[in-house]
Amino acid sequence: MPDWKPEIRSRLADLDLDPVRSEEIVLELAQHLDDRYGELLGHGASEADARRVVLEELATGDVLRDELRRLERPADPAPPVLGKPVAGGWLNGLWGDVRFGLRSLRRSPGLTVVALLTLSLGIGANAAIFSVVNAVLLRPLPFREPGRLVAFWGSAPEMGIPVVNYPDALYVYFRTRSRVLDPLAAYSSYSVTLTGAGDPERLNTGTVTADFFRLLGATPQDGRTFLPEEEARDRNQVTVVSHGLWQRRFGGDPRIVGKALTLDGKPFTVVGIMRPGFDFPNRAELWIPLGTDPQSLGCWCFATTGRLAPGRNPQDAAREIARLSDDFWREREGKPRSDPDSTDAPKNLVFAEPLLRQLVGEVRTPLLVLLGAVAIVLLIACANIANLLLARATARGREVAVRCCLGAGPWRIVRQLLVESLILALAGAALGLALAYGSVQVLSGLVVERLPHLHELALDPAVLLFTLGVTLVTLMLFGLAPALRGARVDLQDAVKEGTRTTRGGRSRRLNDAFVVAQLALSLVLLVGAGLLLRSFQNLMTVDLGFRPENVLVGRVSLPYEANQEPAKGRAFYGQLLERVRGLPGVRTAGLTSNAPFSVGGNGQIFMIKGREPAPGQPNLVAAIRTVTPGYFAAVGTPLLRGRVIDETDTATGPQVAVVDETLARRFWPDANAVGAQVRLGDASSTNPWLTIVGVVASVKHGDVAEEALRYVYLPLSQGSAWSMDVVLRASSDPAALTGAMRREVQALDPTLPVYEVHTLEQAVARSLGTQRLTNRLLLAFAVTALLLAAVGIYGVMALGVSHRVNEFGIRLALGATPARVLGLVLGQGMRLVLLGLALGLAGAAGLTRFLGSLLFHVEPLDPVTFGAVALLLVAVACGACYLPARRATATDPLRALRYE
Amino acid sequence: MTSTDLKKGSAELLILSLLEREPRHGYELGRLIESRSRGALRFNVASLYPLLYRLEKRGWIQGRWVEKAGQRRRRYYRLTSEGKSVLRARRRSWSEFVEAVRRIVGAEYA
Repeated sequence: MPDWKPEIRSRLADLDLDPVRSEEIVLELAQHLDDRYGELLGHGASEADARRVVLEELATGDVLRDELRRLERPADPAPPVLGKPVAGGWLNGLWGDVRFGLRSLRRSPGLTVVALLTLSLGIGANAAIFSVVNAVLLRPLPFREPGRLVAFWGSAPEMGIPVVNYPDALYVYFRTRSRVLDPLAAYSSYSVTLTGAGDPERLNTGTVTADFFRLLGATPQDGRTFLPEEEARDRNQVTVVSHGLWQRRFGGDPRIVGKALTLDGKPFTVVGIMRPGFDFPNRAELWIPLGTDPQSLGCWCFATTGRLAPGRNPQDAAREIARLSDDFWREREGKPRSDPDSTDAPKNLVFAEPLLRQLVGEVRTPLLVLLGAVAIVLLIACANIANLLLARATARGREVAVRCCLGAGPWRIVRQLLVESLILALAGAALGLALAYGSVQVLSGLVVERLPHLHELALDPAVLLFTLGVTLVTLMLFGLAPALRGARVDLQDAVKEGTRTTRGGRSRRLNDAFVVAQLALSLVLLVGAGLLLRSFQNLMTVDLGFRPENVLVGRVSLPYEANQEPAKGRAFYGQLLERVRGLPGVRTAGLTSNAPFSVGGNGQIFMIKGREPAPGQPNLVAAIRTVTPGYFAAVGTPLLRGRVIDETDTATGPQVAVVDETLARRFWPDANAVGAQVRLGDASSTNPWLTIVGVVASVKHGDVAEEALRYVYLPLSQGSAWSMDVVLRASSDPAALTGAMRREVQALDPTLPVYEVHTLEQAVARSLGTQRLTNRLLLAFAVTALLLAAVGIYGVMALGVSHRVNEFGIRLALGATPARVLGLVLGQGMRLVLLGLALGLAGAAGLTRFLGSLLFHVEPLDPVTFGAVALLLVAVACGACYLPARRATATDPLRALRYE
Repeated sequence: MTSTDLKKGSAELLILSLLEREPRHGYELGRLIESRSRGALRFNVASLYPLLYRLEKRGWIQGRWVEKAGQRRRRYYRLTSEGKSVLRARRRSWSEFVEAVRRIVGAEYA
């Protein structure tokens, strides 16, 4: 006997019957079918035939379902009559509203799905970007009282140096005198080679003053941090190791404290093990004391930061440091370097801002721009959903009217409609969070690794709270207008039998306003994305001054003592150059103190023979690079005049230099720089004069967008270096040479690691990483916005056309041509488009100046971008209006009139 | 009275009549209607049960699960007192209707 129950249940499934009653019916009908089946078999039918007949009878014309639907009460009672007093207080009624809302959303699945998708996109994008903003900009640094930490630096724009750190002499001067900042620490980061236990390893290292740990509240888990006397240059052979290194390299052995490590070939005694999680600056694994000499101005390379005294702000700190800086120079040289009353004297500018802000400087603007962009996308999404709901509220006019007639007050109606919106908003937020969770995984993989704490990117409570807030605001934005509008129906009109649902002027105006807002907002976003894209295009076509294709770079550093014996260093690098030149696959090779797009490299003062600055005039500054023969060919920097550095430039030969075009053009705009003489250092320097033998193209050094610095290149054979980049130009894939390069270095000295190995192309791409990501995201948001706006205007036009179908019928019947009707509808759409365009252009003009720092060779009011985007928007909007307009012309006059 | 109403009304009358003497279950009702009308009237599962449920809802009949020896549990319908009075009224008007029709139709052929 077949089991009929599943078949019967499936037929009753959508009746929403009380489950007990439903099962009773199933049982009874199944018995009937059993009997009928048996009867048919008894009459000689085959089992298959009997089964078929029984099922056919069950299915007859859906009578069963239709009749039962009429008879049996559904599980839920009919929608509560809004307005009638509800037992159990307002919460009880609310639950009713929720259930009713769910049902009514289920009744229009199309609208619900579209609204949910739109919302989840909008809310998800906001949550994802906010999680980055939160992790990078908002979350305090993991230091003691991070809000009071202030970083400060100098600036000498007239020397072409926007940011300059301080030398130890100034640091010591500031530290002993500052009242605004206490304590005050200096630090810089570099890397050292650890040898001895296991393979040689290059470790990120912080050189820090003794106050550094106290300033940041970094306490050691074992041992101690540095003592003030360990800042003395002969006492600084001590180190604090990070928790990570201690675990990784030393197996968490607590006896390491007191033992010596070999760093760059010298013994350093471990005095402490840092607590877990502290890796400042620059993911340091080791710290060693910064040797401070109150007289030394040798290295303007220390970052300085301090803790604000209570009640002071960063501006106070900047003012005080500027004053102390003047005092310093007055004591040292008898005159201040800056004179506030003089306009031609160079100024010692000092800037100070919260440490957090300084650390995230370069990503702050892009992140805020992206946050603004996702907010705009969400606004547009809200306008879309509001329009959908508005249309539905109008269509439900009669339902609302009936409820009003039954005594529901307007507040109950508003609440009911708002609850529906709330359900949408919360479901959208849940989907959005899932989306954000996915995107955050991708974002953390993509965003440049220099951001502090980016490894802690997560959907934490702050993000959840933000999402909840966004959801509620969203709800108000898209739910309120339709709800208020929905509650205001003309009872007579709506309840009258046969009256078609009306769409009042006010409702239409509201629809129109939403469309105009959408268009304006998407224009703003498109203009922003357009400007950034143009910038990026410009960046990609910038002449870098070298050819990054097929170039491999790796850094090799000698122990620090090599500094004391320049000849040894020169010999080592000379041998290394010979060896790598001979490698198969290497076309040319050269060495430089700093390859382009690598970290480091400082400016130095230099003088031109015959043009020594008068007292009080600023010194000239140039970036100095030490290079070997073959370097320019390897990196691909073209020679413009004279010759490059070659094998003829020996230690005993004439002292020579090569300069770059920027420097040559600045000082010899009309003449040939070749043959002129320069000297490193200021007027008091005893360095030898160097004869310029060649001019090479200007090179971008760390950033595609930067102004090229002025460069002086010196031959290694006439100078010294203890840390050089090996630059190999390969005949094919440069990365394949990595192993060979390491082998050659190890063959010379097995204790030397090769580190920071990268291709030049990688380095250039990395420098564009933030921009690339910002652009991609912004473009994606802008396209989303455009699509949403197109859907929005399409929806409103289509709704308008469907409500005016008899008007068009009459017009066509009275002799209007389809073209006229088309024009009528298009004209109406275009009015909205133009209004949106005007508002959007005005908004974009006001907002794009915030993009200023992200733009490259593009004006914030770039007419090309504005024009192109406006055209694009008009074209898309035209398309969206055209479809409904076409439908209007296709109205059959008779059919339309029949409705009247 | 439209034909649908008539049919619906007569079907109700049939069920009520068949339940007058004793309680019966749905299948039996369907079989009885078919056999006593010699196949002229047939109800299948889809049309019969909604009818029964409607009558039950009106309070004219009442269904109850009954277990008889040697049989499985079945739902038997019996006439309620309200159903009885409805049956009486329906019978009367039905007789009047049939009489009226007979007079017209019979007169033509008389």
